[in-house]
Amino acid sequence: MKVSKWLSAVLSLALSMGLVAGCSQSATNPPASSPEGGNGQAKETITLKMVESITSPQRTELLKELLAQFEAKNPGIKVDLVSPPFEGADQKITQMLMAKEELDVLEVREFNAKQFSMNGFIENLKPYTDKWKNYDQLTDIAKRRATWVDNTPYYIPNGLYQRVLFYRTDWFKEAGLEVPKTWDELLAAAKKLTDPAKNRYGYSFRGGPTGWDYALITMWAYNGKEVDPASAFFLKDGRTVFSTPESLQALAFYKQLYKEASPADSVSWGFQEMVQRFVSGSTAMLIQDPDVIDGAKEKMKEGTWATAPLPIGPSGVAQQVVGGPGWGMTAYSKHKDEAWKLIEFLSDPDQSTTYAKRTSVIPVVKSAAEDEFYKTGYFKAFIDMNAQADTFIDVSRPVDYKGWGAWQSTADKDIQSYLLDKISAEDLLKKWDQYWSKEKAERK
Amino acid sequence: MQSEKPVVMANQRAAAERKKPFRLKGEGMFIFLCLLPALLFVAVFTYYPLLRGVVMSFQNYTLFDLLNIQFIGLDNFVSVVTSPDFPRVAMNSFFWVVCSLFFQLLFGLTLALLMRRRFRGRGIYQAFVFFPWAMSGFLIGLIWRWMFNAQFGVINDLLMKTGMIDAPIPFLADGMWAMAAVIIANIWYGVAFFAIMILAALQSIPEELYEAAAMDGAGRFQQLWSVTLPYILPTMLVTILLRVIWILNFPDIIYSMTNGGPAGSTHIFATFMIEKVIFGQDYGQASAIGVIIVLILLLFTVFYVKATRVEKGGDF
Repeated sequence: MKVSKWLSAVLSLALSMGLVAGCSQSATNPPASSPEGGNGQAKETITLKMVESITSPQRTELLKELLAQFEAKNPGIKVDLVSPPFEGADQKITQMLMAKEELDVLEVREFNAKQFSMNGFIENLKPYTDKWKNYDQLTDIAKRRATWVDNTPYYIPNGLYQRVLFYRTDWFKEAGLEVPKTWDELLAAAKKLTDPAKNRYGYSFRGGPTGWDYALITMWAYNGKEVDPASAFFLKDGRTVFSTPESLQALAFYKQLYKEASPADSVSWGFQEMVQRFVSGSTAMLIQDPDVIDGAKEKMKEGTWATAPLPIGPSGVAQQVVGGPGWGMTAYSKHKDEAWKLIEFLSDPDQSTTYAKRTSVIPVVKSAAEDEFYKTGYFKAFIDMNAQADTFIDVSRPVDYKGWGAWQSTADKDIQSYLLDKISAEDLLKKWDQYWSKEKAERK
Repeated sequence: MQSEKPVVMANQRAAAERKKPFRLKGEGMFIFLCLLPALLFVAVFTYYPLLRGVVMSFQNYTLFDLLNIQFIGLDNFVSVVTSPDFPRVAMNSFFWVVCSLFFQLLFGLTLALLMRRRFRGRGIYQAFVFFPWAMSGFLIGLIWRWMFNAQFGVINDLLMKTGMIDAPIPFLADGMWAMAAVIIANIWYGVAFFAIMILAALQSIPEELYEAAAMDGAGRFQQLWSVTLPYILPTMLVTILLRVIWILNFPDIIYSMTNGGPAGSTHIFATFMIEKVIFGQDYGQASAIGVIIVLILLLFTVFYVKATRVEKGGDF
């Protein structure tokens, strides 16, 4: 009786230990993959762990295909892909890095590259890119994204996310309108196309999560070439972009666009809603990334919509933040050469172009501009914009400032308060101007 | 006098037992070892994160600079409490809890009383009432978000068709309406829990009490007031306590309906904390908000238990 008691106690303890051990089993001890024939290990297989950030089922599928090709070319290397859900993927990656979890290759975003490099999480790739024959195949924008932290390549971009104007060609034709080239033309067209009785609105406004980004686009377009492209919350003379009368005009315009040409509840719309309303035929215009193209193709009739370059401001230019996520390597990887091999494989011009086409992003290699696929159709607007770098200026946000996170957590609230007439444009700009002036002054 | 002796001796023996130092051996040791795995789990998955959170709330723990983490005293608490958002977040949290709780209790009690009697289709009716409780809060938020939509929402559509309004109301684009909308969604979700708990308590009331009350000439209302409510009161008090804790810590519906907007008008402590982590990347301040939530709930619980003298659960 006593024995059975003790036995059950020991068993329950062992079982729970087993559970804990099971929970924490990592990829460090993958099951030994026996080579064909099964006569023991011919050569030790190295398993790389890789994590993606901009996860979607289609993209994960494509990455698995590419990784299978890589494994076939490199029999001694296996790749274990982790695909956290898109919402919260960056938090997950940060946690993995903080815990020094087994990880070799990771997807770095332009907004966390500085944070990762500062904390010593990611490897400086310069020793590798110096010897890489395809480095000069990257477009100028892609190179700027790769080296934008301390002018050092910390990751190799896998695709560019830049915005264009999506518009309903059929509605424009019906109303006898031309595609807008400027913000003023866009507002005029949007007002003309707005008909609440028909549930039609001119513009897919984004007032919800990260809505501040769209307010910034208009401010930049109004301030023009005075804006410092390297840190676009500041002007070239060192003042903040929020200190100018042009920004005040831009905010007045922005509110008009919301009040007169957008649905009232768009004050809380995020990415999903603004895209959803455009593809479902409730809004006439949308400014978004190329990854919207696939969804629009799927849900909208061919010939009812098209893309055009971003509208330019009164200054004659339109700034844009070109997002360029890419593949980086952890600083603590035990298999750095193999990890670079994988990054090199994924960044090869042919692979990279295939990847860009299948994920609807803008390619990072120069040779893609000559590809017929990008010369016509929905992607033409992106290539046209990149060919006019003086008009469509690539700028960076000050994500390398300590106060970026805190500002970002209140910026949406501030913009919404302004749109809902709770604060004035002057007060909003004053608040942001003071904040960023202080940030600049405190920065060593 | 003789009969009192054994009682005194028994009391002395019991007192001596109590004075004995507690030693783990034999049976006690066996029980302790059986409990040890569960204790380890609780320590690792509950107490460690809790303590880690408390420690973080006194540190400058931001993702921007993880190599320079130091203790900064009460700075995080001061930053949180003095931030312009704090008074509104505190007020919103209060309204969120009080309004949700009041209506959940009222409707839950009404539904439980209605479902107590046998009637045709009672099982189906109960299933409908309990159904929301089985859904995820985030999903409920998404559903209600569409229902309150200004253009396509069924609520605006009904109000328009019945002629109650001339133009659609952008519920989620206005601070007051948005707060009302998230509270309505939360009421719909939480009514089921009150209904379940109160119904369980109602079914344990002996029928004789009603018979006795009827013989004394008590009417329906008096029976409810003098028999039913006193009997289910302990259950209701414990359920209220549980719900206050859960509702205050329940960001799901708000997060999926409004993200705390528009202009922060539906932020409660829990969503405010999430925002600090996701956008602000400030784990120190987020932890400070977490500690503030725990302190508020601790104070409330102590006060509530003392005020209601609930010392053990109702009829669970």
